[in-house]
Amino acid sequence: MEAKRLTVCLAGNANVGKSAIFNQLTGLNQTIGNWPGKTVERAEGTLHFKGYTIRVVDLPGTYSLSAYSMEEVVSRDYIAVERPDVVVNVIDASALERNLYLTIQLLELNAPLVIALNQIDFAAKKGITVDAQRLSEMLGVPVVPTVATSGIGMQELLSNVIEVTEKAVRPVSIKYGREIEESIQKLETPVKTRLPQLSSRYPPRWIATKLLERDEDVSKKVEDEKGSLILSEAAEIAEQIEGIHGEPSSVVMASERYSLASRVVRGAVKILSPPRVDMDQRLSSITAHKILGYPILAGVLASVFVIVFVAGGAMIGVMQELFDTVLIPNTEAFLSRMLPPIVVQIVSGGFLWGVAAAATVVLPYIVPFYVLLAILEDSGYLPRAAFLMDNLMHKIGLHGKAFIPLLLGYGCNVPACVGCRIMETDRERFLAGFVVTLVPCAARTVIILGLVGRYLGISAALGLYLFDLCLIFLLGRLAFRVLPGEPVGLIMEMPPYRTPMPKAVLKKTWARTKDFVYVAFPFIIGGSIFLQFLSVTGLIWVIADFMTPLTSSWLGLPSMAGIPLVFGIVRKELTLVLLADLAGTFDFSKVLTPVQMVVFAIVTMIYFPCVATIAALVREFGVKRAVAVAAFDSILAVIVGGLAYRLLSLAL
Amino acid sequence: MPEESDMLELLELVKTLTRKDTPARIDVIAARMGRSMDEVRRLADTASDQGLAYRTQGCIELTEAGEAAVRKHREEYVHRTHIHGTSLTGRMRRLIEGRVTDWHGHWRRHGFDDESLPSFYADMENLQGRIEETVSLADLREGDKCTVVLALGGYGMVRRLAEMGLTPGTELKVVRSAPMHGPVEVSVRGVSLALGQGIARRVLVKRSTNGQPSTTL
Repeated sequence: MEAKRLTVCLAGNANVGKSAIFNQLTGLNQTIGNWPGKTVERAEGTLHFKGYTIRVVDLPGTYSLSAYSMEEVVSRDYIAVERPDVVVNVIDASALERNLYLTIQLLELNAPLVIALNQIDFAAKKGITVDAQRLSEMLGVPVVPTVATSGIGMQELLSNVIEVTEKAVRPVSIKYGREIEESIQKLETPVKTRLPQLSSRYPPRWIATKLLERDEDVSKKVEDEKGSLILSEAAEIAEQIEGIHGEPSSVVMASERYSLASRVVRGAVKILSPPRVDMDQRLSSITAHKILGYPILAGVLASVFVIVFVAGGAMIGVMQELFDTVLIPNTEAFLSRMLPPIVVQIVSGGFLWGVAAAATVVLPYIVPFYVLLAILEDSGYLPRAAFLMDNLMHKIGLHGKAFIPLLLGYGCNVPACVGCRIMETDRERFLAGFVVTLVPCAARTVIILGLVGRYLGISAALGLYLFDLCLIFLLGRLAFRVLPGEPVGLIMEMPPYRTPMPKAVLKKTWARTKDFVYVAFPFIIGGSIFLQFLSVTGLIWVIADFMTPLTSSWLGLPSMAGIPLVFGIVRKELTLVLLADLAGTFDFSKVLTPVQMVVFAIVTMIYFPCVATIAALVREFGVKRAVAVAAFDSILAVIVGGLAYRLLSLAL
Repeated sequence: MPEESDMLELLELVKTLTRKDTPARIDVIAARMGRSMDEVRRLADTASDQGLAYRTQGCIELTEAGEAAVRKHREEYVHRTHIHGTSLTGRMRRLIEGRVTDWHGHWRRHGFDDESLPSFYADMENLQGRIEETVSLADLREGDKCTVVLALGGYGMVRRLAEMGLTPGTELKVVRSAPMHGPVEVSVRGVSLALGQGIARRVLVKRSTNGQPSTTL
C-alpha cells in the first residue's frame, strides 16, 4: 500500500474559530480559490501526521444544511457526495445549543464525525464548562476540547481523526420524537427501493428527512429521478405534520433538532457563575449604541478611507517610479533591438502599460483595503456597522450588510464588487454589485473635480455627486422591484468582539490578493493591448468617426471626445489626460463649454465600468450578468448625458 | 344588543377551539371569555341571526360567513400591529392606505408573492389563542423578555428564523434596537441575533411577565 492519504473537511458555524483551526493544522500549505461554479471561497491545505498525508478542506461557515444559501448547498453536497474520510465539526463551547443544530444535521448525513469543542477558554470566561466526555457519550462521536488560537488540542484532534478512519467509527443515527420518526420511516423504504441512484449518493434516511422538510433542492433531485409519486407521498405526510403542529414542517423539524440540542446541552453543560458584564458586552453596547454608534462608525470609515488612500497613494508613487523609470524604458530598449517598431509599440504600450496599470493603480488600493477588511472582519465590527445602517440600506432595497461594499465603492469598485460576497443570497449579491458600479470611485472623482469642480465651482461638483446619489437610490429601488425573488431581511449573528490575529489577517490578505491578480490582470492587460492595437493601426479614428453621431449630435460633445471615452474603459483616470492631449491644451475652458463639461463628467461617471471592475463582475456574477450591467450602465450614461445636454442648454 | 368586539371575540374563540372533528364547546368558550354559559348562548344566537355561526348540541360552529369574518378580523389585526406597527409612522401609513377592501392585492403590495402568500394565509389560520395576546417583537423595549409564538412570512424566512433558533416556544430577550425603527438585537439560545425591522415586525411573541415566560397560550 502506498502512502496513506486522508481527506478531512472542517464544518461549523460562522465565527467559531474554524479558520483558526484550519490555519493551525495546515500552516502555509494552503490554497484559496472558489468552489467550482460558485462564488464561495474554498480553502484547502495539506499536512503530514503519523505517516498520513491529510488533505484538509475548509467548508464555508454555515448555520444549517438546508438549501438557504450557496454556502449551505456547497457544504452539504461536499459532505454527501464527495464523502471526505472524516468531517471535523468545529463547535463553539460558549454557544453550544445553536452549534449543535448543525452537528445534528451532520449526524443525519451519517458522516464520520469528530467534534472539535473550540473556544473552551472563552466559554470558561463566561462561566460555562462543557463536559466533553459526557458530550461524546450523548452524541456517540469523539469530542476533543480545543483552543484554536493557541493551538491547544490539535494533536489530539488529529489522533482522533485517524482513529475514526482506522476503526471505521460511524455515528449512531439520531432519533426524533415518535411521530416524526414514524413519518421518516414511512418515507425511507420507498426512497430506498424506488430511488436507487439518489440513495446511493445520499443516505436514504436523510433524503426522507429532507423531503419531509420540503427541501427544494432534494425535491428537484427526486423529481429528476422520476420520483414524483414519492414527492406527493412526502407532501401528504408533511401536510399531516403541519396540520397537527400548525407550523410548516421545516419549522417542526427545526424544533425537533433544537429540542434534541437543548437536551444534550442540559446533560453536558454546567453554568458555574452567572455571566458578568465583560469587555465584549461593554464594547458592544458602545459601538452599537443608538447615538454613540454613529460617530464611531463614521470615525472607523473615515480611517479606512484615509489609510487606504494614504497607503495606496504611497505605494502608487513607488510603483509608478519603478515602472516609468526602470522597467518600461529598459524593456522597450531591449525589445527594439530585435523587433519591428510597430510590434514594440503594441507590446510596450499595450502589454507593459497594462501590467503597469494593474500593478500601479489597482493593487496599491486593493492590498491595504484587504488588510483592513480582514481586520474588521476578524474583530467582529462589521455586523455592528450593518446593524446601525440596516434602516438606511432598506431604502434602496438592500439590508445593512450592503452598506459595506457600497462604501468601498467610493474608493475602488473592484474590491467593492468582491465585497458583495457578504450578502447571503445570489439576488442580494447581484443587487449590491449593480449598485456598486454606479458609485463614483476615486478615478471618477478625479474627473468630476478636475473638470467640473475646477471650471464650474465646487458646488457644481457636489451637485453631480448628489445627482449620482439620487440615481443610485432610484436605480437600486428599480432593480429591487425588477429582480425576481423574495427580498431577504436582515437575520445576522452579532458575534462577540475578538482581537484579530496578525498572522490570520496577513494570510487572508495574501490569499485574496493572489486570487484577484489571477482574475483581474488578464482583463486589464488584454484590454490595454487591444486598445493599443486600435491606436497603432489607426482603427481608433474609425471608431471615433463611428461614434460621432453619438458624441456630437446626441451628447453635444466635440467629436474627439469619443476617444478618451473609449480609453477610459481601461483606466478611467486617463480620460482627462487623453482629452487634454487631443485638445492640445490643459485649459479645458477653451475647448469645452460648461454644458459640455457637465455632460462629459456625467457620462464618465455612469458609463461602462472600467475593465478591472468588469473582471470583478465576471468573477462574482458570471459573464452574462457582467455584460448586462456594463450594457445597462453605458445605455444609461448615454440617455442621461443626452438629456442633461438638452435640459442644461435650455436652462443656461 | 351585544358589542361588536364581543361578537368578534366569540368568533375568534370558536375558530381557535375548533379541532378537526370536534367543534368548540360552549362551556369552554364561556370559561375562556369569563362569561356565563347563558351569555355565550345568547351571543351565539345573535351570531346565528347574522348568519355567522350556529349552535349544535352544546357546541358552536362557524358558517362560511363566520369564517370569512374571522379571517377579515385577523387580516386587519395583522395589518395593524404586525405590518405597520403602532408607531406614529406606522399609523400614518395605515391612514394613507385607508380601509383595505382587496386584502389579497394588499398583501402583495406589502411584498408577499405567489410563493409566500399561501404560507402566510396558513399562518393566519393557525394563529392560536386570542391573537390580541401576542405582540410584534418590534414593539418590545430593550430588556423585555418574551416567547416566540409564530413568525408570519414566506417559507424561506420562517425556516431561516427557526434554524437560527427562533422556533415557537423559544425564549428571547431584547438586547437593543437601532434608532428610527432599525433592526432589533435579541439574545436567543446563548447567542445574539440582529433581526431587521421588517422581520422583527412579523415575529409574533408573547410578553413574559416578571421575566418569567408564561406557559399557557
